[in-house]
Amino acid sequence: MAAFIQLFVSGLATGAIYALVAVGFMLLWQTSQTINFAQGEFVMIPAFFVLWAIKILGVGFWPAVGIAVVASLLILGLLFKRAIVDPMLRHGVLPLVISTIALSIFLKEAVKDFYSSQAQPFQAMIPSEDINVFGAVISSQSIFILLIASGAVFGLNKLLNGTRLGRAMQATAQNPSVARILGIPVERMIMYTFLINALLVALASLMISPIYLAKFTNGDTLGLAAFIAAIVGGFNQVRGAIVGGLILGVIENMAAAYISAQYRGAIPLILLIAVILWRPQGLMGRAEERTV
Amino acid sequence: MTPVLQVTNIRKQFGGLTAVDGVSFSVNEGEILGIIGPNGSGKSTLFNCVLGQLQPTEGEVRVDGQLVTGLRPCDLNRLGVSRTFQLLQVFPQLSVRDNLILAGQEHKGSMGTRLFGARDAGLTMDANRMIEFFRLSHVADEKAGGLSYGQQKLLDAAMAFMAGPRLVLLDEPAGGVNLTMLGHLRERLQAINAEQNATFVVIEHNMEFVMALCDRIIVLAEGKVIAEGTPDAIRSNPEVIEAYLGH
Amino acid sequence: MMDFLTSRAFKGTVFVLLVAGLIILPFFLRPFGLLLVAMWMVHAVAALGLNLTLGYAGQISMAQGAFVGIGAYCTGLMTLAGVPYPVAFLCSGALCFAIGWILGYPALRVQHHYLAFVTLAFSTLVFLVMRNEEWLTNGIYGLTDIPRPILFGWNTGKAKDFYFFTLLMTSILAFCVWWIIRSPWGRAFVALRENPVRALSLGVDTRRYTLMAFAMGSSIGGFAGALYAPLVQFFEPNSFSLTLSLKLLLMVIVGGAGTFFGPFIGAATEVLLPEWLRIAQGYYLIIYAMLVMVLMMFCPTGIIGLGERLISHLRQKKISSERSAQAQVMGTDKPGQKEGAGQ
Repeated sequence: MAAFIQLFVSGLATGAIYALVAVGFMLLWQTSQTINFAQGEFVMIPAFFVLWAIKILGVGFWPAVGIAVVASLLILGLLFKRAIVDPMLRHGVLPLVISTIALSIFLKEAVKDFYSSQAQPFQAMIPSEDINVFGAVISSQSIFILLIASGAVFGLNKLLNGTRLGRAMQATAQNPSVARILGIPVERMIMYTFLINALLVALASLMISPIYLAKFTNGDTLGLAAFIAAIVGGFNQVRGAIVGGLILGVIENMAAAYISAQYRGAIPLILLIAVILWRPQGLMGRAEERTV
Repeated sequence: MTPVLQVTNIRKQFGGLTAVDGVSFSVNEGEILGIIGPNGSGKSTLFNCVLGQLQPTEGEVRVDGQLVTGLRPCDLNRLGVSRTFQLLQVFPQLSVRDNLILAGQEHKGSMGTRLFGARDAGLTMDANRMIEFFRLSHVADEKAGGLSYGQQKLLDAAMAFMAGPRLVLLDEPAGGVNLTMLGHLRERLQAINAEQNATFVVIEHNMEFVMALCDRIIVLAEGKVIAEGTPDAIRSNPEVIEAYLGH
Repeated sequence: MMDFLTSRAFKGTVFVLLVAGLIILPFFLRPFGLLLVAMWMVHAVAALGLNLTLGYAGQISMAQGAFVGIGAYCTGLMTLAGVPYPVAFLCSGALCFAIGWILGYPALRVQHHYLAFVTLAFSTLVFLVMRNEEWLTNGIYGLTDIPRPILFGWNTGKAKDFYFFTLLMTSILAFCVWWIIRSPWGRAFVALRENPVRALSLGVDTRRYTLMAFAMGSSIGGFAGALYAPLVQFFEPNSFSLTLSLKLLLMVIVGGAGTFFGPFIGAATEVLLPEWLRIAQGYYLIIYAMLVMVLMMFCPTGIIGLGERLISHLRQKKISSERSAQAQVMGTDKPGQKEGAGQ
C-alpha cells in the first residue's frame, strides 16, 4: 500500500510537469495551428540557459533562473513566433511541422555541440527531503512540484477565465476571424500564448531537470509525453491537457513498477492509439467537426 | 415504366432540427427535374441523403427500382449516378484531360487492370470528345487550378458526364457563373440530355436558369414539398410566391 | 530554351546521364565512397515509398523508419539462418505490405495531425519491440555479420559488387514506383490527396486506395530495409528509432513531395550533404537543420519546387521581355492580350 502511494504521488508529480508542457503545446495549437514538434526541446533548453548563465556569466543560481526565464520568453516565445512560425503559417501546417522538426534537431545539436553531450546535474529549487506519510516515503520534491504546478494552472485558469485579456485569448482560439471583427488584437493575443508557453516550459524545465539531469536528449521523452498528454486528455481544452498529463504520469510510473520496466513506454503509446482511434477528442475534449 | 430515381418519404433529423420532412418524388428517364426553394428549405440535405453523403433518418431511395439508400458515394456512382457540387470541386494539380480521365477510369476494369493496364485506361478519346463538347480544347493540357471560374464549372460538369451516367444530380450549377457562360452551360446540358437521354435533377436558385432548363419543378420549403409542376404552373403558384416572399 | 528545360526530352536526358554517371562511378571512388552512394540509394528507396504514401496519396506517415527496420530485421534474420537472399527480400516486402495495410485502417478514421501521432506511436512501439524482444531480434546487441548476397554465382561481398547490386535493385524499385505513379492508380492517389469527397463521388474507392497507399509505401520501405541489412552488415534497434522516420519525412518534403525525383534529392541532402559539410567540423547537423528551416520558409514545395519556380520565373521574364520588344517594334506600349480566353 505504501509503495502504491509512493508511486502514485511521484507519478502525479511527473504528471504535473507533463501537464504544464501539454497545456503550452495545446495553447499553441489552438490559437495558431502550430504543432510544435520542438516542444520537448523547449523544455530541455531553459535548464541549459541556467547552466550557461552560471558557468559563463558567473552568477548565482537564482539570478541565473531569472536570466533563463527572460531568455526563454525572448527566444522560445518572441523569436520563435516571429522568425519561424509567422513566415511559415501561410504555407500550411505541414511545412511548419517540418520546420519545428528541423528546429528540434537544431536545438538538440546546438546544446550537444556548444555546451556538452554529458548529463549535467541540476540544482533543485528546494532542498530534497523525505517526508513520511502513512508509512509511505514521499519526496519533498514531489510535493513542491505539485504545489508549483497547481499554482501555475490556477494562475493560468484565472487569467483565461477571470480577466478580459484571458477571454479575448479564448475568443481568438475559438474563432480568429470573428475575434478580429470584434476588435480583438488577434496577433497580440497569439503572441501572448507563445509567451505563456515559454513560461510554462521554463517552469517545467526547472522542475524536471533536477530529476532527469540536464541532457540534450531530454527533449525526446518530454516531447512525446507532451503530445500524448495533450491528445489523451483532450486537444481542445486546457482542463483536458492537465488531466491527460496527470493520467500519463501516474500510468507510466505504475506500468514501470507493476507491468514491465522495459515496456513502460509502451502503455502510454497504446493509450494514445486507442484514444485517437476511438475518441479523438480526448477524454475530456469536445468533438471537433471533421471538415468534409 | 420504372422511374430512374424514386425517392420515398425521406426524413433527415439533426438532433432537434428536422431538415427534410417526408419528401417524395420520382424522375423518369430523360426528364430534367428542378428543385427550388428558399435558403434553408432542405434542398442540399435532400441531395446528400439521395447521394449517400448522409444517412437519412427515414425513407428510401431507389435507382432503376434498386434500393440504394445509404450506399457509399463511390458505389452509387458505379451504378450510374453522378453529381456536381455547389462548391467547385475539380482537382487543381491535375490537367483538364487528367481530371476527365480520372472521372471515368474507376468504371473501367478492376483495380488490377488499372494498375497494370494502359496509362489512360483507354479514355483519351472519350476525354477529348468531352473537351470538345464543352469547348475546353484550348486549355486541355493546363492544370485545372489555373482555369477561370467559369471554365472550372464547365470542367466540373464535364466530369460528371464522363462515365455516361444514367442520372446526374447538379447542385447549383449556375452559381457564380456569368451570363454568357450560363447560356452556354444550359445549352450544353440540354444537348447532353437530348443526346444521351440522361436524366437530370437540378437544385438551383437562379430562377431564369431553372425555368428555361427544366421540364418539371418541385418546390421545397421548410423540408416539405409545397408544389410540383411545370415551370409555368410553378411561376404562378401563390404558395410558392408566399414561401419565397415570406422569408 | 525554356520549353526544352521542362520538356520530356530534357528530363529523359538528365535521367540517362545520371544513370550513366552512377554506372561509371566505381572507377572514380574508393570503397568507402561507393558504400556511401549505396547508402544514398537505400535511403532514396525508403523515401520513394514514403513519397507514394504522403506525397502522392496525401496520407501522413511517421512510421516509414519502422518499416525499414522491419525489412532489415526480416532480411537479416533470414539470411543469417541460411535462407537465400531473394526469398528474404520478397518476404521483407510482403511482411511490410501486410503490416502497412493494417496501419492504413487508422487512416480511414483520422487524418492529418491525428494520423501523424498514430503512426508516430506505432513507430515507437515497433522500436520498443525490436529493443526488448531479445529472443527474436537479439535486443540491444543487434544483428551482426549479415552476409552479402550471392546471386547466380555473383558474389556481392566487395564494395564494388555490392554497389552495382544496390544500383540494380534501386533501378528496379524506382521503375516500379514510376509505373505506379503513371498508372490510373497514381491519378487516383492524387485525387485522394486533393479532394477525397469529390473523388468518392466519381467512383474512386477512397478506402481501398488509402489502404493501398499505406501498404505499398510501407512495403517499399521494407525493400529498402532489405537492402540496408547487407549494406551495413551490422545494425541495432537505435538505427530505426523515430529519428529515422523523421529524417525520411524531411527527405521527402525537402526534396519535393509528390514529385518523382524529390526523394532522390532529399536523400542526397540527408546522406551526402553531411559528408561534404564535414569540413564544418561536426556542425553539419546544425547547418542542415537551419537550411531546412530556411527552405521551408521560402519554398515549401521543396528543392524540386524551387527549381520549377526558377524556371517559370525565367520564363515569365522571357515573355515580358519579348512583349516589350514587340511593343517597341509596334510603336505602342500596350501589354499583349492574354491567351486562352473562354470567358
